[in-house]
Amino acid sequence: MELDKKNERLTTGQALFLFIGSMMGSELMTLPREVAQTGKVPDVWISIIISGLFYAFISWIMVKLAECYPQQTFYEFIQRLIGSWAGKAIGLLLVIYFLVFAGFELRSVNEVTSFLLLEGTPTWAISSVFLWLSLYMCAGGLFAIGKMCQVVVPIFLCALTVICLIGLFLFDSNYLRPVLSEGAMPVIRTLRTTLFSFSGHECLLFILYQMEKPREGRKVVGYGIGITLFFYVASVIVSIGAFSVKGVVTRTWPFVDVIRGVELSFLFLERLESLLLSIWIMQVFITFSICYYLAALGVSKVLRLPIAAALFILLPLVFLLSLLPKGISDLFAVGQLLGLVSFLFFSIASVLLLLIAKARSWRHG
Amino acid sequence: MQSSLFLTPLKLSMFIQAGWITLVPLLIMLTVRKLRSYEKGTAGMSRTGPLEADPIEDSGAAPSQEQGLLNDAPGEYRGFLQQFRDASQDMADVNEHSLYLKNLKAPATLFFLNGLTDKPSLDQFVMRPLLEWANQTEGENLPTGGDLRTLLMEQVLLVSEMEAVPDVETALTSVLFGSTVLLLEGLPGVLILGSSRGNTRSIEDPISESILRGPRIGFTEALSDNTAMLRRQGKSKHLAMVSFRVGTKVEKTLIVAYFKDIADPELVEEVKRRVQAIEMDEVLETGYVEQWIEDDFLSPFPQVQNTERPDRVIAALLEGRVALLLDGSPFALLVPVTFSMMLQSPEDYYERWLPSSFIRMLRFVATWISLFAPALYIAFISFHPGLFPTKLVLSIVSTRKGVPFTTLIEVLILEVSIEILREAGLRLPKPIGPAMGIVGGLIIGQAAVNAGIVSPILVIIVSATAISSFVAPIYSAGIVMRMLRFPAMFSAALFGLYGLIMFFLLLCIHMTRLRSFGVPYTQMLAPKSYGDWKDFFLRAPLRFMRNRPAVFRSQSRKRK
Repeated sequence: MELDKKNERLTTGQALFLFIGSMMGSELMTLPREVAQTGKVPDVWISIIISGLFYAFISWIMVKLAECYPQQTFYEFIQRLIGSWAGKAIGLLLVIYFLVFAGFELRSVNEVTSFLLLEGTPTWAISSVFLWLSLYMCAGGLFAIGKMCQVVVPIFLCALTVICLIGLFLFDSNYLRPVLSEGAMPVIRTLRTTLFSFSGHECLLFILYQMEKPREGRKVVGYGIGITLFFYVASVIVSIGAFSVKGVVTRTWPFVDVIRGVELSFLFLERLESLLLSIWIMQVFITFSICYYLAALGVSKVLRLPIAAALFILLPLVFLLSLLPKGISDLFAVGQLLGLVSFLFFSIASVLLLLIAKARSWRHG
Repeated sequence: MQSSLFLTPLKLSMFIQAGWITLVPLLIMLTVRKLRSYEKGTAGMSRTGPLEADPIEDSGAAPSQEQGLLNDAPGEYRGFLQQFRDASQDMADVNEHSLYLKNLKAPATLFFLNGLTDKPSLDQFVMRPLLEWANQTEGENLPTGGDLRTLLMEQVLLVSEMEAVPDVETALTSVLFGSTVLLLEGLPGVLILGSSRGNTRSIEDPISESILRGPRIGFTEALSDNTAMLRRQGKSKHLAMVSFRVGTKVEKTLIVAYFKDIADPELVEEVKRRVQAIEMDEVLETGYVEQWIEDDFLSPFPQVQNTERPDRVIAALLEGRVALLLDGSPFALLVPVTFSMMLQSPEDYYERWLPSSFIRMLRFVATWISLFAPALYIAFISFHPGLFPTKLVLSIVSTRKGVPFTTLIEVLILEVSIEILREAGLRLPKPIGPAMGIVGGLIIGQAAVNAGIVSPILVIIVSATAISSFVAPIYSAGIVMRMLRFPAMFSAALFGLYGLIMFFLLLCIHMTRLRSFGVPYTQMLAPKSYGDWKDFFLRAPLRFMRNRPAVFRSQSRKRK
C-alpha cells in the first residue's frame, strides 16, 4: 500500500541504536574477564579506548564505502566491485560468519539463562521461543528490527548505567592504581583482545542504504562508537574496581557478579540481577536478530530467494550451530574467533574495497 | 584458535529439535496466510481497487431523468395513490390523510410516519398554508403541471427542505425516514416535504468516558445532532464532512470528517476507499465499521479508536486524523491510532501540565501492573524466590503453606473468578451491581483465603490488578490488557522471568509490525522525531506543543 511505503526508512536514531545493538551483545558481560586475562594489569581500559578509536576509523571508512553505492547492500556492491563469482563467494562466507555469530549469541543466552534464571529447562525449549520471536521480528524487515532497537537498546543502556552506579558500592580505587605501573607493554598486549571485541560494527555496511538520511552515517558512527566505548570502559573499570584484576579473572561473568555482589536492602527487590539479566537477554535478542537477519539477507541476495524463505532455511542451522561448542570455555573461544575474523576481514576488506571503488570512479571520471 | 577441536558431535535428537523449531513457525505462518486469504476474498480485493465515484453524486444524477418522466396525465394521481397504498400495505405506521383543494377542484393526499414526523409543524406549515391558499384564491388562471409545482414550492408551502421525485419507491423510502409525501391531482410526480423529527435522546454526559473537567456533552444516536455538535466545537470553513451510504439492505449514512488543510490527503483517500469496501446488509454500529476498516483482524490490539466525546474528535482532527460518524451510533471512530493514544484522556489537556503528566505516568504504571502483576507473581514465586527480600519471601511462603495448588492454578482460580464477577456486575441493574461487587470481592475473597484455596498475598495482587485495569481511559484498550494478562501468566508459568521477557518482546514486536492506516502502532515508543514525545509520558505545557505530531504527516506541521 502506498501509505506504508513512505515510512520504510530507518531514521538516524534507529540506525544509531541498530549499530550499538549489534556491537554490544553478549561480549559486554565477559569483556572485563577477557581483557584482565590478557593484560593482567588494571590499565587495560586504555587499550579499549585505543581499539575504540581504531574502530571509529574503520567504521568511517565503511561509511565512505557504503556512500559510493547508496542504494545497495554490501552483498550487492561487492559483486560489482570484484566480479560476480568472487563477490558471491565472499557473500556466502559472510553468511556463514553471521550464522556463527548468531549461534554464538544464542548459546550465550542459553548458558546464562540456564545458569542464572531457569535451571533445568531444556536448551531446545529456551532456544525455540527465542528463535521463533526472532523469526517473527526479522520477517518484518530491517525497519521492524530498527524500531525494536529503538525501544530495547535505550532501556539496556539505562540498565547498564544503573549497574555501573550500583558497582560504585563495591568500588575500590586502589585496585585501579597506579596507572601504567608496568609501562605501556601490557596495554599493547591487551590490544590482542580488545581489538576483537567490537565485532558487530560491520552491520554498518548493510544498514546505511536503508537510512532516511544516508548523509548522517558519520553521525551514527561517531555516537555509536562513542557510546559503546563508554560502556565498555565503564564495565571494565567497575568490574576491576570491584574485584581487582585477580578477582575478575576467576569469574565467568564478572559484570553479572557486580550486580549480585550488592544487596540493596532499601529497595523492594533485594537483588536486581534477575531483572537486569532479563534486560540483557532482550539486548542479546537484538544482537542475535541482527546477525540472523543479515545472514538471511545474504542468502536472499546471493541466491535470489525471498527473505522469508531464507529466514526459514537458516533457522535450523542457527540452532544446530549454537549446540556445537562443547562447554562454556569453547563458547568463549568461538567469541574470540569471531572477533578475529571481524577484525581481519572487515578492516582489510573495507580499506581495499574503498580503494577499488575510488580507483574505479576516478577511472570513469 | 582451538575451538574446532572441542565441538559436540551432532546427534539425531538435535536434528529432531531443529525440525521442531522450524516446523512450528512454518505451520503458524501457513495458517495465518490461509486466514488472511479468506479476508482478502471478501473485502481485500475491493479495498485496494480504484476509488469509485462519490456515491452522493450518484443520487444527484437523478434530475435529468426526472424531467422526462414528469407528465401531468390526469390518471397519474389515482395510479400513484394506488401504488403508494400497495407499497405501504403492511406498514401500519404509515399514515394517510386526504385533503381537497377547492380552487383546483382536486383531491390531495399526505403520507407520513407515526413518531418520526413532526406533526405540529406538518399541521402548521404544510396543511394550513395549503388549505388557506386553496380557499383564498380563485381557480381560473392557475398554472398547471410543472408551473403549479413551482408555485406550490415557492409561494405556498412553508417548508425549507423540499424535493420533487418522479416515482413512488423513492418517496416511500423518504416517508420511512420521517418526511411527508404530498400527492396532488394535476401535479406531476410526488412532492417530498422534509418534516422529520423523531424522538431522540437528549445530549448527556458520555457514560463511557466521563471526565471531571471539560465539556459535558456526548454524541447521541442522531447523526445530524452529532455533526451539529462537531460544527459547534470546530467552527472552521475547512472542516469537511463527506457523506457515504453504507449497508446493502438497510442503508445508513456514514460521515467522514477531517480538516481539509490539515489531514494527509492520502490518508483521507484510504479511509474513503475502505469505507466504500464495506459490504454488509446492515451496519448497526460503528463497531461494525471498525471491524471492516481495521488493518489486521488477527491482532489483539484495537487499531481504531472510538469515542463519545465531540471535543476529543475535534482535537484528533486538529492533529491531522480522520473521524467517522455513523447514523444511529453515539460512538465516533478515529483513525489512525497509536498505542499511547489509548492511554490518553481529553482531561490531560484541560488540567495544568504537571498534574496531567503525573496522571499520565500513573496510567502507564497501571497498565503495566494490569498486564504483568499476576504473571510476575507466578514467575517470582515458582522460579525466582531469591529476588525478594528474605523476610518477604518467608511471609509469602508461610501464607501459601496450606494452598494445595500450584501457583498458576491458584492465580487462575482467582483471576478467572474476578473476571466473571466483573462481567456479571456490568450487566446487572444499577441497584444490584455494587451489592454483588461487595459480595463477590470481599466475602468470596475472604472465604477463599480462610478455606485455604488461595493465599492472602495473591488476593492483594489480583485486586490491585483489577483496579489498575479500570484506569484505562478507553474501555476497548482496557479489555485488551485484561485479555493479554492470561497469556502472560501462562508464559510466566512455563519459563519464569525469561518467559515474561519473551512475552514482552512478542508484544513489542507485534506492535512495531502493526499499522493503523499506514501509521506504525508504536510510533510513540519509537518515534520518527523525538519531538512527539512532548505528548507521550509527559504532557508538555501547551505552549511547547507548537507542531502537530509528525506521525500523521499532516499538511501543515505548525499549529497556527
